[in-house]
Amino acid sequence: MAGTSSKPPVQKKTNELYRESARKKDVRTTNIEAAKAVADAVRTSLGPRGMDKMVASPNGEVIITNDGATILQKMTVTQPAAKMLVELSKSQDVVAGDGTTSVVVICGALLKKAQELLDKGVHPTVISDSFNKAAQKACEVLESVAIPVDLEDREALLKAATTSLSSKVVSQYSSLLSPMAVDAVLKVIDPERPNLLDLNDIRVITKAGGTVDDSEMVDGIVFDQKAAKAAGGPGRMENAKIGLIQFCISPPKSDLENNVIVSDYTQMDRVYKEERNYILGIVKKIKASGCNVLLIQKSILRDAVTDLALHYLAKAKIMVVRDIERSEIEFISKTLNCLPIAHVDHMKPEKLGTAELVEEVEVGKGRVVKVTGIVSKGRTTTVLLRGSNKLVLEEADRSLHDALCVIRCLVNKRFLITGGSSPETEIFYQLSQWSKTLMGMESYCVRAFAEALEVVPYTLSENAGLNPIQMVTELRKLHAQGQKYAGINVKKGCITNMLEENVVQPLLVTTSAITLATETVRMIMKIDDIVPTR
Amino acid sequence: MLAQPGQQGGNNARLQIQGERQSGQDVRTQNALAVSAIANIVKTSLGPVGLDKMLVDDVGEVTVTNDGATILKLLEVEHPAAKILVELAELQDAEVGDGTTSVVILAAELLKRANELVKNQIHPTNIISGYRLAMREACKFIDAHMAIKTETLGKETLINCAKTAMSSKIVGSDDDFFAQLVVDAMLSVKTISELNGNVLYPVQSINVLKAHGKSARESCLLNGYALNLARAAQGMPRRVQQAKIACLDMNLMKARMMMGVQVLVSDPKELEKIREREFDITSERIKMILAAGANVILTTKGIDDTALKYFVEAGAIACRRVPKDDLKRIAKSTGATVIVSMADMEGNETFDPSALGYAEEVVEERVADDNMVMVKGSKLARATTMLLRGANDYMLDEMDRAIHDSLCVVKRVLESGKVVAGGGAVEAALSVFLENFATTLGSREQLAIGEFANSALVLPKTLAVNAAKDATELIAALRAFHYKAQTSPDCKHMAQFGLDLVEGKVRNNVEAGVLEPSMSKVKMIQFATEAAITILRIDDLIRLQPSQDDQE
Repeated sequence: MAGTSSKPPVQKKTNELYRESARKKDVRTTNIEAAKAVADAVRTSLGPRGMDKMVASPNGEVIITNDGATILQKMTVTQPAAKMLVELSKSQDVVAGDGTTSVVVICGALLKKAQELLDKGVHPTVISDSFNKAAQKACEVLESVAIPVDLEDREALLKAATTSLSSKVVSQYSSLLSPMAVDAVLKVIDPERPNLLDLNDIRVITKAGGTVDDSEMVDGIVFDQKAAKAAGGPGRMENAKIGLIQFCISPPKSDLENNVIVSDYTQMDRVYKEERNYILGIVKKIKASGCNVLLIQKSILRDAVTDLALHYLAKAKIMVVRDIERSEIEFISKTLNCLPIAHVDHMKPEKLGTAELVEEVEVGKGRVVKVTGIVSKGRTTTVLLRGSNKLVLEEADRSLHDALCVIRCLVNKRFLITGGSSPETEIFYQLSQWSKTLMGMESYCVRAFAEALEVVPYTLSENAGLNPIQMVTELRKLHAQGQKYAGINVKKGCITNMLEENVVQPLLVTTSAITLATETVRMIMKIDDIVPTR
Repeated sequence: MLAQPGQQGGNNARLQIQGERQSGQDVRTQNALAVSAIANIVKTSLGPVGLDKMLVDDVGEVTVTNDGATILKLLEVEHPAAKILVELAELQDAEVGDGTTSVVILAAELLKRANELVKNQIHPTNIISGYRLAMREACKFIDAHMAIKTETLGKETLINCAKTAMSSKIVGSDDDFFAQLVVDAMLSVKTISELNGNVLYPVQSINVLKAHGKSARESCLLNGYALNLARAAQGMPRRVQQAKIACLDMNLMKARMMMGVQVLVSDPKELEKIREREFDITSERIKMILAAGANVILTTKGIDDTALKYFVEAGAIACRRVPKDDLKRIAKSTGATVIVSMADMEGNETFDPSALGYAEEVVEERVADDNMVMVKGSKLARATTMLLRGANDYMLDEMDRAIHDSLCVVKRVLESGKVVAGGGAVEAALSVFLENFATTLGSREQLAIGEFANSALVLPKTLAVNAAKDATELIAALRAFHYKAQTSPDCKHMAQFGLDLVEGKVRNNVEAGVLEPSMSKVKMIQFATEAAITILRIDDLIRLQPSQDDQE
């Protein structure tokens, strides 16, 4: 396969392996080893005290991140089985949006245990099936310790968002970002369809300059561009009637083969005059509809607005924002409650959106256009993120995305569980009890599954600079005594009741992490041959 | 028991990625090293007796500078961690405008000491939380105990701040002269925001022009806005009183047909007519502008030589190829509107007299070797032009940077109204304060805060070393003063003690007039800590190789 061929020394080695008779076993071993290596790579970034990774791409671009999915995506793994782990992290990102590091770490631990079982002579199919059962049981355990949450309960949502942000560089700003995430999500939920939440309805605009503290949630919409004021048009408009247009206000271009031919000097004046009249006609129609703020979609065929058009629009006192991306049209029309207008003849007052104020404001080094006080605003929100440099800003963006996803998980499945690795320990305890009631290989495998999950508390305490063995054993003891909310308090460096510490996360994050990780392990287990094809 | 840094070294072979990967202690040491290397480059340029760097780029362009941000910008650093430091200097430059060298040195020192702590088995996260705590306490301390309100210090404060900022630069020898220049310039552009009534001092309203020849002391403030260009034709008057200024952003060249329009003539006579018409379109426009009463015409684009006669006949000054930024500023200060097109709402072309701006006088003056057009006594806001003179280009560029730094400092002092003593006073006080603060904590953070305290001392130390003084002795004496200031209530004034780098003594720097805006110090500490933490959090560095497609 393409992956194995990119590194000549490795290829040589694997080719030799293929030739050996016991190659089925070896394919599994190499796959597991490769996948484990991926898990090890992201292990140190787990938890509130996790470290960051710096990824330098060939073109000199640098990314500093703590987000598992981003790290894996950026580091271009080549081994096919290792790629499965990258995919795994991606799918966790899609399903839950958070816990992308944990899912990979859990998967790595499960694979390690599976390898041990294989060495003992357990058949891969048995391992795969038993892991499946164990995962189902684990989810049941999780549901039994879950605490139902009401979307009205803002406090609970805040806690979950704060927990998700705690591992990021921007954690010190979590008191600002988590309410932002919660409010943003709550605003876009449609009361008629409360289980449906589209994160596309939340727009995050990043703007360098200032600090994260200056970030704000805008009740309205923000455009990441300046108002087009080249011709002295207005930069501020009260009682705005906003038109979103998809046509161009520029002279129509003749086709390449056709030319306008001028043979008389009087015609020259006509050409100029025609151009002026054509544009003036459009501008007058726009003005007649009552529109005073114009959003113009970007055009690749010709200038969306010419200088002359801007001049006329400025004379007509119409504020212009240009270069609106095609992909933004839907969001804008939803927010402003206006319809995109594809032709100037369709310019009707009822298609316009209304807002109290459209204003160009200075933000950091640049300017943005803010629309506030929108009449009958759609269910969308805009968050304006600020940061002192590009690296911080990008990481803040990713972190906010995670926090938003956490809230989304809670909307989809309204249960919370405690954090600080308490659910994993609880699963360990319950599953090891359950394994004692099982017979044969199955019991062995379930036991191994349970032990694998202990990697979470182990890594968490290791990353926090605590003694992992001491922490894990103490946790086990407390859970055996029935304290199911006991978890590692990373900040204080001891074990406390996570519920009291307000460390909570959505149930969906952990259940999907466990199911997805198990599925990936089962898939890797079942591979017994790699056939390179051209 | 701790996460053993470097324990994953063995995994590199197993993890197959298209690139190199380093993790754990290797990365931390390497980052600290790269950052120290950057700091070492700028180290010797810190302080009033710091020396300059000469940078030569690949085309032979020479820059001589003392400004940290400029040095780093020109270095083209490749190491990703070192790049963060370069960005840090740029950030300080953008937010404060001064202290770019200090911020880099402090960040590098913090990182170096953090790395030592990690080697001694302190987990990076503990160091990070310690540094954060120290930063917060330090900023609080500066606000509460070090900052002095400018009102209590009298008029000289602004001048003194400007002097301190330029002391390390090339203009430092004439600081009396330049400080006055800078303060005057800054005060002249005071504007009050229309929206919220805030008093602003926009640095960009000061137009800095550079001209060869004469000595630096001949630099001066010019009243009005100067354009570094001559009028378009010699026949135009040199001076226009009661100027009505038209600011155009359009071409006054012969009109050309746009793309897709082809001129096809069958009769040679027609051709001549078309040429004539092409020219007439422009001349009609010019006549319209002149008819509206304009007697100064500035355009960002060209004016045909043949069209100039109309202006000469009307006795108006016309300037072509005016830089767009300059034009915008002139339009703003004279109340003119920048015109991009003369079309009106009827589809014809007219020129609206209300678009004209007004200034008492527009005059072309000869300054040094160049002619400059000055717009004086404009209607609305004030604009100031500072003319710098100097022996050569390098000197002028460096003077420009020095003046920019001082302007920023004066702006900050005017806006925030708080200053602190310079010459290492704040850093020494912080080190004493944080050391005491560290001992009140019983956790692992104590060590990190202790190191933070030591790191702060790197600035006074470097200052002393650059001045060829005995750093150890001076710092010890300085710290003794600050310890006294913080422990015994009747010695409070000792908090203002800092280094006198010429004499090699410790003195009261507030009385000596060595002052810096307190905001500059606070931001410096915040930015340096944030940058150090960002780098410290990294425990893995993945360098990707170019993908196969790129190589082919």
